[in-house]
Amino acid sequence: MKVILVGFGVIGRGVIKVIKKKREYLKKKYGMDIKVVAICDSSGAAIDERGLDLDLALEVKRKKGRICEYPGKGVTLPVTEVIRSVEGDVLIEVTPTNLEDGEPARTYIIEGFKSGKHVITANKGPLALYFQELMSYAKKYKRIFRYEASVGGAMPIINLARETLAGNEIIEIKGILNGTTNYILTKMEREKLDFDTVLKEAQELGIAETNPYQDISGLDTAAKIVILANSIMNMNVTIRDVKIEGISRITPEALTMANKGGYTIKLIGEVKRNKLEVGPKLIPLDDPLNVKGSLNVAKLYTDLAKEVIVVGRGAGSIETSSAILSDIINIYLQTSRG
Amino acid sequence: MILLDLELKDSPGELLKALTPISEMGINIHSVIHLREKKSDGKVPVRIVLEDLDEETLEKIVERLEESGIVVTKVNNKVRKMDIDVVVIGHVVDTDIRDTIDRLNKYGLVVDLDLTMPHPFKESSARMRIIVDSKNLEDLCREMEKLSKEKDLLFIKSF
Repeated sequence: MKVILVGFGVIGRGVIKVIKKKREYLKKKYGMDIKVVAICDSSGAAIDERGLDLDLALEVKRKKGRICEYPGKGVTLPVTEVIRSVEGDVLIEVTPTNLEDGEPARTYIIEGFKSGKHVITANKGPLALYFQELMSYAKKYKRIFRYEASVGGAMPIINLARETLAGNEIIEIKGILNGTTNYILTKMEREKLDFDTVLKEAQELGIAETNPYQDISGLDTAAKIVILANSIMNMNVTIRDVKIEGISRITPEALTMANKGGYTIKLIGEVKRNKLEVGPKLIPLDDPLNVKGSLNVAKLYTDLAKEVIVVGRGAGSIETSSAILSDIINIYLQTSRG
Repeated sequence: MILLDLELKDSPGELLKALTPISEMGINIHSVIHLREKKSDGKVPVRIVLEDLDEETLEKIVERLEESGIVVTKVNNKVRKMDIDVVVIGHVVDTDIRDTIDRLNKYGLVVDLDLTMPHPFKESSARMRIIVDSKNLEDLCREMEKLSKEKDLLFIKSF
């Protein structure tokens, strides 16, 4: 199985580490031999049709910051050119999320399909903005398109709903899909600290990003809700259809008030027919949605299985890469069946 | 059989207050089930199972219970009244809290109010418990949205 990796940041490096770690296991269990034939970052790419040395690639990136410095195999080609010209089975797209126009990830994904590759992405931007378009390319070029890592990191949700719960109609999905805001609210509640103080601390710890806008405004959760609505519930919506309220107005006093009434406050994303909403909600203290710290949780209401709840880690490079690996294995199994 | 779901205060004499009007009307009570595991904030849900009744008598019972201040949440598993909680963040008092409550009372009934004001210049928080007929819930939500825009209040709802 030949893999092209586009994006060599935290997640990209996580994917390479996971492939390295699981190489023998995958050979033994599935008979699958993964060869990473190209790795691209903003500087260019390293290309080797026989498979790159993954330790060397990680070392080059760590020491020089640019993959095009890979000895002997580094090039400064544009990413789209690499996708078009290098032969591969699967394109893994893990460039940074852009919720404005989904680029350049959207172009990379489309180029992947056009050049006959199956595509895996962890990128919310193109999925939240151009879901139908991307699906139509996958269909047109008869390629597989998977994106489990885009929602909830390691927490299984998309493939759970579509495959494990196959046959069930998913009526409603409700949950905490952003670990940063959950961390902030948990800390505010426990330590009676105000929003700004906790945010600053979370930034120092690397839990919140330097620009935390997408997280605290609810935009990140909204993107995930849209992906779930389109992929699991067959809706045709974009991020512009979501009613969004963030958490920056929540005070420790409001959390104490909620506690007195037997509730906590969580940033909840919710999707059902006629409702596409992200905002702070009162959640009963004994409700399974009341998970702490940076955990993610989702409750799926289905017609047959009724309520199904999943909890997991929504971030982290190895955790997210585990979802990407599950997509790689799935594509391998689907395509090797003949 | 008829199922009546009530919400009683967790204090002595509350159950009797609910059962008296029923027995006074000569109606047979099959059983009384306390749903203690669903207890929240000092309220205990109780399910009363009655003999079969015609619509008119059933409506009369519900009316009499409601007159005596008892919340009938469900009749035969159909939601009738909902008990919802809301935490409001903003300048709750300065934006005329009385007007806020009056406008919510057009569609429901604010039965409990708790307020905290950390600092005169900082936003305050209030917790309200509102009882609302399930058919009025959408109107109540719309009124909250209007209030939220007009008075820059954030309503955090329990539903």
